[in-house]
Amino acid sequence: MNNVLVADLGYGDAGKGTVVDWLCAKGIDGRPVAAVVRYNGGGQAGHSVVLPDGRRHVFAQFGAGTLRGVHTHLSRFMVVDPLALVVEADHLADVGVPDALDRLTVEGDALLTTPYHRAANRAREIARGAHRHGSCGKGVGEAMGYALAHPSDAPRVADAQAPGVLGAKLAVLRDRLVDELGPLDVPPVEATVRAFGAFAARVPIVSRAFLGNLLAVGPVVFEGAQGVLLDEWHGFHPYTTWSTTTFDNAETLLVEAGQAGNATRLGVLRVVTTRHGPGPLVTEDPALPLTDPNNPTNRWQGRFRFGHFDAVAHRYAIEVCGGVDGIALTHLDIVGPALKFCDSYDWTDRLLPGPVGDLARQEALTRRLFSTRPRFSNGPVDWPSAVSAALDAPVVVTSHGPTADGKQVLRPNWAARAHPAAAGGHPAR
Amino acid sequence: MGSGVWSTDVYDAADRYRRSTGRSAFAYSDSGARTVHSKLDPHGTVRESRDSADHPESISIAVLFDVTGSMGDVPRVLQTKLPKLLGLLLRNGYARDPQILFGAVGDATCDRVPLQIGQFESDNRMDDDLGRIVLEGGGGGQLTESYELALYYLARHTELDCFTRRGRRGYLFVIGDELAYDRVKAREVRNVCGDDLSEDIPIRRIVSEVRRKFDTYFLLPRGASYAGNAKVLDFWRGLLGQNAIELDDPNAVCETIALAVGLGEAAIDLDAGLSDLAAAGSTVAASVSTALAPVERGGRVLSTWGLPTTLHGDDRISRL
Repeated sequence: MNNVLVADLGYGDAGKGTVVDWLCAKGIDGRPVAAVVRYNGGGQAGHSVVLPDGRRHVFAQFGAGTLRGVHTHLSRFMVVDPLALVVEADHLADVGVPDALDRLTVEGDALLTTPYHRAANRAREIARGAHRHGSCGKGVGEAMGYALAHPSDAPRVADAQAPGVLGAKLAVLRDRLVDELGPLDVPPVEATVRAFGAFAARVPIVSRAFLGNLLAVGPVVFEGAQGVLLDEWHGFHPYTTWSTTTFDNAETLLVEAGQAGNATRLGVLRVVTTRHGPGPLVTEDPALPLTDPNNPTNRWQGRFRFGHFDAVAHRYAIEVCGGVDGIALTHLDIVGPALKFCDSYDWTDRLLPGPVGDLARQEALTRRLFSTRPRFSNGPVDWPSAVSAALDAPVVVTSHGPTADGKQVLRPNWAARAHPAAAGGHPAR
Repeated sequence: MGSGVWSTDVYDAADRYRRSTGRSAFAYSDSGARTVHSKLDPHGTVRESRDSADHPESISIAVLFDVTGSMGDVPRVLQTKLPKLLGLLLRNGYARDPQILFGAVGDATCDRVPLQIGQFESDNRMDDDLGRIVLEGGGGGQLTESYELALYYLARHTELDCFTRRGRRGYLFVIGDELAYDRVKAREVRNVCGDDLSEDIPIRRIVSEVRRKFDTYFLLPRGASYAGNAKVLDFWRGLLGQNAIELDDPNAVCETIALAVGLGEAAIDLDAGLSDLAAAGSTVAASVSTALAPVERGGRVLSTWGLPTTLHGDDRISRL
């Protein structure tokens, strides 16, 4: 049996949703997928899935296998937004999946994002003005930042079962944020407690041990959010997310479940490198004749930016996350003469990973990237081979359209092999 | 309560979770209870709708529906739809500080729970009242239910700050499919409300009394057993004029109520309200439009009974 870890090796939006949907539709090594586990981020994810019959859903918190009837488990590395979760469940019901909440479990230790975090998140981004960080404005980073500053006061999923505890934590949270930021447009604590109580009454809240049950049933897909290049430590600070976007959290979960390293790592990339929001995008080319219907311009992230395939940045992503076993290359249906390929920058062809925690170093790297020029060659005829060669990792599946039917497997049995570097367990954070 | 979209989300989320269970919010009734829940018992009580620091300009909205057997599945449809009402009012800015009371009407001549009355609430505690309502399933058969008893209670057992402090009427929506009895009976009032009346009160007098305090509507849903029954509609139009409304689709009840309040508060006109519905992806706009068009036009009264003259000019809606 093999589990699959899925992560985006860019800045997000490469197609994790469609890849996870495809895995769940086809199974892994002939076995149906037992569950999709979210191992980072929160409700700001936007993993788009389209079914062959035209139904579509953009997954924010539910696993992207939900349309295939696959269970979702939100691990404690996920920041859970109960208010958005039920709205998403209602939308899933509209597209023919009425029982999404019946196939959901949430780990009690997961952080909650609340209306207070969201209001604070937005107040801060507005105050930053032109210097905004590209936050989605949903309070995920705010919830993680608050938990770092006040670990024992941070509202967690299990608190939703105890109105007294939750109410006290929310009141403290609200008061701290208002002291810091001034008046916020937020609902009263008691109303929030009530709503979160309804969440706790509906969704099974489970312990750390629950994941072992899922792993015993069949292969599990670990669905990452965002992208490795947005990682809180290895991304280009400060244009990053408050989340570990490498495979580390997923490996930690496997170690705890006694299945250390029993997983194949699948990195997802598009044939163009994109970014939603500000921050370095070395190969950016506004002349690229592309649009992304899933990523309209929004108030918090601004417009969606396109660049040519940036092998230097993606090599860096692979290196910081300790290697991948295979690459899923998406959007091959847009390949054309306009697309170029960047294999080196004007000063290097390799960005060196730094130690975790050295944000000054990452910030210096960011400044350098802002003045870096890409060196382009023409787009290759054989994209999968070119990407495999440039990144020293095999492209195992390609995507030529939005649905699972548009996927083409280049390496049968690609999921049979576990990632060697992780066999001894990845250092837990 | 904040004014942002979050207010709606917090209230909305609890309701969405509850609906998602498929478990009836009429849990009390479904548990086999056949007597009025103590929190809904009208005997010896007054329901207050007060201003507060959070809600300085409260506006009282009472929604009562017939829970007798003649209504068929309609009460359960209402139960799934009514929790949306607060969110609709707030989200669209139709009312600033709405306080909503839910209640239920049965038949005092044969039912064990002829009248059930919740509290005016500004948040989704009103949903809890909804969950305590006993569905009668009795009554019916004689085309008459004890609506007059409910009107009596609202006229004499409520205290509305919007009315006493600011001279603004609240809103009363009665959803049903039958006639009222022709008089409020002193004996029933004693049993149900605990008041000693020296004599019965004719229906017209209690209607005119309640309308001084509440802008009053009767909604007759299609799908209820006497729906479309000309006699029922004529009866209520005789009492309430164009405020007796036929509702094509019981699913549209919240939208209809919200828009009627929005029109009454002069927050919108009908076209703007219908565009709000369309923008929210609502599929009931046509039904709401049909129901409310006569209300908005005002004045055009279809009645074989004739309107009491006191109603002319007395009704905010008819001046629109």
